[in-house]
Amino acid sequence: MGCNEYKLSRRTMMGASGASLLGFSIRDLLAFSGKDHKAKAEHVILFWNGGGMSHIDTWDPKPGRSTQGEFDPISTSVPGIQISEIFPQLAKQMHHAALVRSIAGTQGAHGRATYNLQTSYLPGANLRHPGVGSVVVHELENQSDLPPYVTISGQAPRAGYLGQKCEAYYVAAPGEKDPYLAFPEGIAKVRGDRRLEELAKFNKGFKGRKEDSRLASTQTSINEAVRLMRSPALEAFALDKVKPATIERYGDTNFGRGALLAKRLVETGVRFVQVNRGGFDTHSNNFPAMTNHGGVMDPALASLIEDLKQTGMLEKTMVIMLSEFGRTPRVNDNAGRDHWPGVFSCFLAGGGIKGGQVIGSSDEDGAAPKDRPVEVASIHATLCHALGINHDKEVMTPLQRPMKLVDDGKPVMELFG
Amino acid sequence: MAKSIIPTLALLTFFLAPDLIAEETIDSVLTAENKKQGVTRAAVGKIDDMAFLRRASVDLIGRIPTIAEVDQYLAWPQAERRNLLIDQLMANDRFADRWTVFFADLLRLRSNVDGGAALIAYVHKALQDDLPYNQLASRLIATNGKAGRVPEVGFILGDNADPLAMASVTSQVFLGVRIGCAQCHDHPFDKWTRKDFYSVAAYFGKTRRYQSNFTRAVYTSEVKQTTVMWPPEDDAAAGERKALVPSFPFTLMNKKNNPDFIVRYDALVQKRAAERSAKQGKGPTLDALFAKADKKVSRATSGSDDTALREARDEIAKVNIQGGLYRESEYREKLAALITSPRNRYFSESFVNRVWKELIGKAFVEPVDDFRADNPASHPRALGLLADEFVAHGYSFRQLVKMIVQSDVYQLKQVPVDVTDLQQQQLESAFLATPLRRMYSESLYDSIVTAGHLFDVKYTAGQNEKVIEQEVRVLLGADDQPVPVAEKLIADGTANGEAGMKKMPAAGSAAGAGYKLEEAIELDFDALLKQDDEVEVERMQVKTAEQLEAERLAMERKATVKPGMKYETKIVKRTIDDNPRFSSSLRMASPAPIGHFVRVFGQTSRNDLGEARNQTPSMRQALMMLNGRLTHEASRVGDLEPIHKYLAGKKPQIDEAVQFAYREILTREPSGDELAGAKRLLDEAKSVTDGMADLRWILLNSNEFRFLP
Repeated sequence: MGCNEYKLSRRTMMGASGASLLGFSIRDLLAFSGKDHKAKAEHVILFWNGGGMSHIDTWDPKPGRSTQGEFDPISTSVPGIQISEIFPQLAKQMHHAALVRSIAGTQGAHGRATYNLQTSYLPGANLRHPGVGSVVVHELENQSDLPPYVTISGQAPRAGYLGQKCEAYYVAAPGEKDPYLAFPEGIAKVRGDRRLEELAKFNKGFKGRKEDSRLASTQTSINEAVRLMRSPALEAFALDKVKPATIERYGDTNFGRGALLAKRLVETGVRFVQVNRGGFDTHSNNFPAMTNHGGVMDPALASLIEDLKQTGMLEKTMVIMLSEFGRTPRVNDNAGRDHWPGVFSCFLAGGGIKGGQVIGSSDEDGAAPKDRPVEVASIHATLCHALGINHDKEVMTPLQRPMKLVDDGKPVMELFG
Repeated sequence: MAKSIIPTLALLTFFLAPDLIAEETIDSVLTAENKKQGVTRAAVGKIDDMAFLRRASVDLIGRIPTIAEVDQYLAWPQAERRNLLIDQLMANDRFADRWTVFFADLLRLRSNVDGGAALIAYVHKALQDDLPYNQLASRLIATNGKAGRVPEVGFILGDNADPLAMASVTSQVFLGVRIGCAQCHDHPFDKWTRKDFYSVAAYFGKTRRYQSNFTRAVYTSEVKQTTVMWPPEDDAAAGERKALVPSFPFTLMNKKNNPDFIVRYDALVQKRAAERSAKQGKGPTLDALFAKADKKVSRATSGSDDTALREARDEIAKVNIQGGLYRESEYREKLAALITSPRNRYFSESFVNRVWKELIGKAFVEPVDDFRADNPASHPRALGLLADEFVAHGYSFRQLVKMIVQSDVYQLKQVPVDVTDLQQQQLESAFLATPLRRMYSESLYDSIVTAGHLFDVKYTAGQNEKVIEQEVRVLLGADDQPVPVAEKLIADGTANGEAGMKKMPAAGSAAGAGYKLEEAIELDFDALLKQDDEVEVERMQVKTAEQLEAERLAMERKATVKPGMKYETKIVKRTIDDNPRFSSSLRMASPAPIGHFVRVFGQTSRNDLGEARNQTPSMRQALMMLNGRLTHEASRVGDLEPIHKYLAGKKPQIDEAVQFAYREILTREPSGDELAGAKRLLDEAKSVTDGMADLRWILLNSNEFRFLP
């Protein structure tokens, strides 16, 4: 079930079971041997805002400038850091979060920019690069009965050459039941179990031919499927038993339920959850749209960070929000903002990220990086670094072409304090 | 194939007397080569008749046989059965459907790219008509035109007519050579240099992809200036870079040699040309359209020119009313002629090698797209013979398939139980045993539909009635009475609006949740090829920008809802007879949406070059088979199914029913133990039909079902 092939190496198995040597966990030893830091993060929740979210109206306000738009900045729990007024609750969690305000993008079209921000690569002819979520589950062993990579309310990028095992498990809408996780309608448990038993017997009796790992693997995959079907961890997907007050606190929206589901999934060991939301391509009427987005996102993100902090999960869960680019400083004739890859921002919290800081800045109008420009691929390198993944590691494509996990990015080390 | 091997091969065939060559078969050549290589083991035996029926049916028409087909097959005289079956399967409509999937994988056909759906339909038609493979390839490489209207152009539009991409694609797809590795550096394991790569790219240097701002129509045409420069961008300053003249780095067979297969090929081409010229005067036929390609080939092979062909070509020029806009590509026509030349061994060998692999399970050269000097064919003479015969038969795909499935090799069993892994490898490498093969995803899907009688309704009316809630949008009319407008659209993503595309979410887009991941909505291939839309792009040429803008605005106004119209969404309850029906996955838009049954079982995105189908099991596959609607509905017994008569009534004929189920699902009789076990299962179930559903579910989910015999 894990993204790594069925056969785990002895080393990873020991790591997974927490075996230790001379008092150090294997994980620590690996961290010491391979890298110069001890990775804190084990999970990622990625909020993907499709369409290109305005940076000026969210994380990088420009008060007093003609580019400011209709929103005022508000103070946060961290003196000196201000964000847009559309995030009043999140402002109170700012001491847990960091902002990068100097991402220097290069792509201004949705398709190419989405590809770039989700994979770190630029689209090339006839080769599909894996999304960063696929990279993560390719590199880290599975911790749960559940699929290690889940995408909610939209598709995640493809796994490309990392293979089908690294594709995301798709949840169309949070709380929606996946019909494939239970016997078909009308097949009671006793009957379904009997079928499985007889099937295993039949497959075992498939004689007259040589033993073959492919035949055995079919049964392995069935066993895994059944383990998932019977797993108590599946409860995490069901939101109908969650207290209404909790759902209310997250805003009682599809996005809020998505954030809540993401939290429940990482708590059961899911490695990477992507929560999708669209509607950020605000070429016209930018401000009412962003007010609405703020109203939906603010309670969800604030409650998520608060809850993760409370249970101690924030230490090992990186929450990150990305979009394909920012939007023009200039407000156009339709009260909208257009595509602007020149500079934009990113929100990060948890998983070793030192909260309460801002990395880099944009110029006074939010048009270009002023200091500490950060390349797009460096965001992915940062994410990998937080998880203890060597972002420069090469994997082979089916044509035996070596490809780095991340396209020449450098982790933004200041984020880790 | 390496350069060094080609002359040897040519010499070999040259010195053998023609009558001797004719007597050689693929089996005799393989035996001789094995002997020479010191392989002494004997081949395992041949599969029995029923196993052959199952194997050939899945391979040739993409599904298991029906009971009617089993009965007919068994009624044929035993000595002729297998050959009769091959003929019958190749005459089946599904033959073209099934092999369209093979070509779609090879050519990376995607119904969601510009002109992609029309191209799939075109390839399907080419298979129906047995269009010679060299002509198909030529058309794909050289044609310019508008997406959809000129289906072949979908091939280069699949890579946005990008010269560098097309260099990799044409070399790897049509020649089995990974010259693409030389894009950024000289090839690490082969002789190809960056210059070679750029020289191939240069054939595409003058081709441009255009998109009309007004109609969004996409087309290709030619310009004077090439975009392919040498040295590459990263290697030289802008001023030093010069336009690169295309050249073909692959060596063709020497023109002085005229081996038997070239003589036969030339004779065939001439015969066909004569037939065509006899038919002339009846207006341009499909044959005439392809005459041009033949001409190039005949010039390349014999140096002769043919008046009839020249006239046919002039005829085409007359009907090509778009000649001015979609200029022909001189460079690419040259490239097509070089690639498809009968003297180009890469072209014929790489293709027969792929088809061999598809049917036998193991290729002479693996990976199939990696022909190079230090990766020689395991059996070069056998590969050469197949290629020779393929060319001599005028690149007939059907002849090639027939030749392979009629061979002894195709009919071999898998290795016996007691061999070691090493012995297994030896046997399979020497083509003395058949490797284990899993059905590819579309065959698996269609085989379940076939076994479960799901192509048609299998219940009498009213047995599957269900009350469903449906969301509808209603228009509030002048008298405020709701008027139904349209049912809520469940899946819509085919924005390119090609005819014949309907309802299915666009490939690559978000698949609908739930059981939609198992639906297969068929494309209407005929409609896709009959796109008689007005010549939008041409029309555009004579209009001013202002006119175009005015028209665009008018269209926009038309598209928006009139002010004052009010809609509301209502939930209505309806009773429907929810009879399960499934269509063939061979004809659905492809690649299927992410998460769809056929994707989960290995259909690729067709995006990456050289992407192979992943045939390993996964948990997702298991969930889909164990709990999916397709296997569930296929298992349930419908009263219109033939098996029902054994189960109905007071005295069910259980033995017959079980035997019938085995024959229908596994194409064999149950053993004594199996019969007893099945009877126990039916006996312990709530009803015999429930028990039969359980048995069928088990058989459909089994390894035996999905792996070929």
